[in-house]
Amino acid sequence: MPSLSTLRHWRRILVAAGALAVIAASGGWAERHEMQTKTEGLRQAAAAHALGLRGLVEKHDYLPHAAARHPDVRDLLRAPRDAALQARVNDYFTDLQATTGAAALFLVDRAGLTLAASNWNTPFSFVGQSYRQRPYFEDAVQGRRGIFYGLGLTTGQSGLFIAEPVRADGAILGVVVVKISLEPLQAAWMRGADPVVLRDSHGIVFLSAVPDWLFHAIRPVSAADLRWVADHRQYGNRARFPVLPWAVETRAGTSALVLHTTVLHTTVQGHRMDLLALDTPLPELGWTLTVTTDMKEVVQARQLALILATLAVALLLLGVQYWRLREKRFVEQRTARIELERRVEERTRDLEEAHAFRKAMEDSLLVGMRARDPEGRIIYVNPALCAMVGYSADELLGRLPPYPYWHPDDLEKQARESDDALRGRAAPHGFESRIRHKDGHDVITMVYTAPLVDAQGVHRGWMSSVVDITAQKQAEARQRDQEVRLQRSARLASVGEMASTLAHELNQPLMALSNFAVAARALAAQGSSEMLAGALDDIVEQSRRASEIVKRVRAFINPQRAQYEVLAVDGVITHAATLLTPELRRDGIALRVDLTDDGARVRGDRVLLEQVLVNLIHNAMHAMHDRPRGHIDLVTRKVEQGVRIFVADEGPGIPPEQMDQIFAPFFTTRPDGLGLGLNICRTIVEAHGGFMTVENHAGGGAAFSFTLPTVP
Amino acid sequence: MKDIPLTLYVVDDDEALRRSLLLLLFSQGLAVQAFESGEAFLDAVDMRQPGCVILDLRMGGMSGLAVFERLRAAHSPLVTMFLSGHGDIPTALEAVRQGAWDWVEKPDTGRLLDRLPAAIDEARARAHALRLWAELTPREREVARLVGLGQPNKEIARLLVPPCGPRSVETHRANIFSKLQCANDNELGRWLAAHPWLG
Repeated sequence: MPSLSTLRHWRRILVAAGALAVIAASGGWAERHEMQTKTEGLRQAAAAHALGLRGLVEKHDYLPHAAARHPDVRDLLRAPRDAALQARVNDYFTDLQATTGAAALFLVDRAGLTLAASNWNTPFSFVGQSYRQRPYFEDAVQGRRGIFYGLGLTTGQSGLFIAEPVRADGAILGVVVVKISLEPLQAAWMRGADPVVLRDSHGIVFLSAVPDWLFHAIRPVSAADLRWVADHRQYGNRARFPVLPWAVETRAGTSALVLHTTVLHTTVQGHRMDLLALDTPLPELGWTLTVTTDMKEVVQARQLALILATLAVALLLLGVQYWRLREKRFVEQRTARIELERRVEERTRDLEEAHAFRKAMEDSLLVGMRARDPEGRIIYVNPALCAMVGYSADELLGRLPPYPYWHPDDLEKQARESDDALRGRAAPHGFESRIRHKDGHDVITMVYTAPLVDAQGVHRGWMSSVVDITAQKQAEARQRDQEVRLQRSARLASVGEMASTLAHELNQPLMALSNFAVAARALAAQGSSEMLAGALDDIVEQSRRASEIVKRVRAFINPQRAQYEVLAVDGVITHAATLLTPELRRDGIALRVDLTDDGARVRGDRVLLEQVLVNLIHNAMHAMHDRPRGHIDLVTRKVEQGVRIFVADEGPGIPPEQMDQIFAPFFTTRPDGLGLGLNICRTIVEAHGGFMTVENHAGGGAAFSFTLPTVP
Repeated sequence: MKDIPLTLYVVDDDEALRRSLLLLLFSQGLAVQAFESGEAFLDAVDMRQPGCVILDLRMGGMSGLAVFERLRAAHSPLVTMFLSGHGDIPTALEAVRQGAWDWVEKPDTGRLLDRLPAAIDEARARAHALRLWAELTPREREVARLVGLGQPNKEIARLLVPPCGPRSVETHRANIFSKLQCANDNELGRWLAAHPWLG
């Protein structure tokens, strides 16, 4: 398979060949066309010249004929010696010659001797001369009309001789000859631009517009002809006729007119000439007329056509080239455009992907993002921020401070922080900001601000990331709250609850004890003493565990006195009451506090004393659980021993038969009670150097009271 | 029924108590497997097998009640006995109401030994029932349930998937009575009601 470059190479060669062919064809066409025009012109010129020549001959043609019939001419031939007659004939000839413009007119007798001539009185008079070897004489003597061109034997002047026999009674007496000069014709030819040549039947040029060509032959003259010319002294003593300096090239192809034109390459007056020549034979005269015309115009026309064609082809090729270049450029441009479009598309897709990636990233962020210009106008928010503040992006974009989500209580603080951030003075570790969600709830956020710098490094504003720390804050608050509640419940953990825990804790070693003991009995019965010993060890261990628990309780109820502090009784009571407020409210019971002894102070353990109060109030609440809207009175009274604190309820009171056992351990009136609460309370009070009493009110209800010694 | 091997489990987070129970029950001639937490017990034991478990109500991690809930949800045939403290009695009572076998308040070893045989008997009975039930074909079990619901043969034939003729239901019924050692529909109904945990 030929390569593309080879193909292109061949195509170039083809185009070049085609162009050359077109140029050559146009040149050839122009040449032919011009040649045709020239040939036509030549033909017309030839016809004109032939006509002129014939006219010249015919003009004098009748002269010898007419002269031959003149009686004096005949008479003179009959009587050549008659001088008068001769003079008359001479005059007649002279007259005729002058009238007709012929070169000469003369009469020759049968022997060839001139009897009379028009130029009888000139130095070159023909009279007496013999012309018997002249061909026209020979022809005429034999009865034919003689025509001959040649140099005059006497005058040396060339001319056309026309001879006519003079007849009398069927006999030829002599010959009348008229000589016509062709010099004026030749002179006229010489004035013309295109050379005209006349040659005789031997091919010898005897009349020519170009003098150099005279007496040259168109072809080498044969020996016979040469002899004939010499014999007849046609061209005087001239014996050699060189060949014309013509390079003849036969032309064919001027088809319309069957004219045999030739092209002559010759030199005229030193100039090389290319001539187109047309031969016209003149058979009545035995001559051939050659008319020529300069080929220069043909060549010029051809060259012009060639130039024009070359120009046209060049223009065409240029046009084609230009068009191809244009096409190529167009294709290149289109390719470039497609490439550009593809790259733009690619770039767009990249950008879209990057954008989608960024968007997904922004959308997935839980951190709110907000960008502001240096004036504080919001120029960007991400979905997380919108969700955080409850406003859509449309509601936020373009907003200047104050922003809609600023907390109404913190407007000043927000404005100050915003200004700081816009001046680049935001706290590097962020600042906490409370904002108001559109639906009204508060959101606590942490705001971190960084400068927003674009790709050109120009500072465009500020980018803030906003983290919702509400949940964290709430968790912290909850934890704080829980701690407070834990503290509170630790104090609230009534002695009863403590006793319940104690009971469970004690139950474990007790159950184990019991199990080991039963197992030990069975093992003893089975006689497996080793296991029995192990079981007994376990019993000892579990007993110690139980006693440890009891010790811990005792330590709790009887703390070291060294840890006691001076306490305001009112403070202890108020705090205990506060601890129980929710439960009292739940049960619909009102607590009436009556502190009559302001400023009384005791020395003791705040938590334990609060526990005593909480336990007593709990008991009172229990007593009143089926009497809603009741009251519990909390009263202090200054007494002799110190301060006495009453907790009185509006319950059923204590049955008199139970009064003695009320403080006994494990006495309870409640199904789930342990019966340790009051006992422990009394223990605590007594540990503080006080004592505890109980009584039934007259109006119903029980009143527990305890007295504590005061300190100054 | 005594020949059925039976597993006894103890679940208690108190190491000493657990050990004491192991020794106690061992001394009574009972094989026991002990677990320190409800999670460990549920992980290790096949709940579909019959047996008896002594569960402490109050434990760190999963409480005894939560373990029992899991057993109940799994229709486990395990017989559950709770050990409760003084304050947990209402909880224990509620558990028994929901299908636990019994409870013993700590620290009453005597009561535990008194109530345990009944629980073991129940576990054996359940094992026996389970074995009988396993002898039934799946089709027969289906029929047995429908009989227990008091459906007549015709209705049972229609309800079965795929349905069959009343006569083949009659055949199934005869097979069921023979295999489960029941005399009539009523007895079968009572038997099924007594064993709601059958798969």
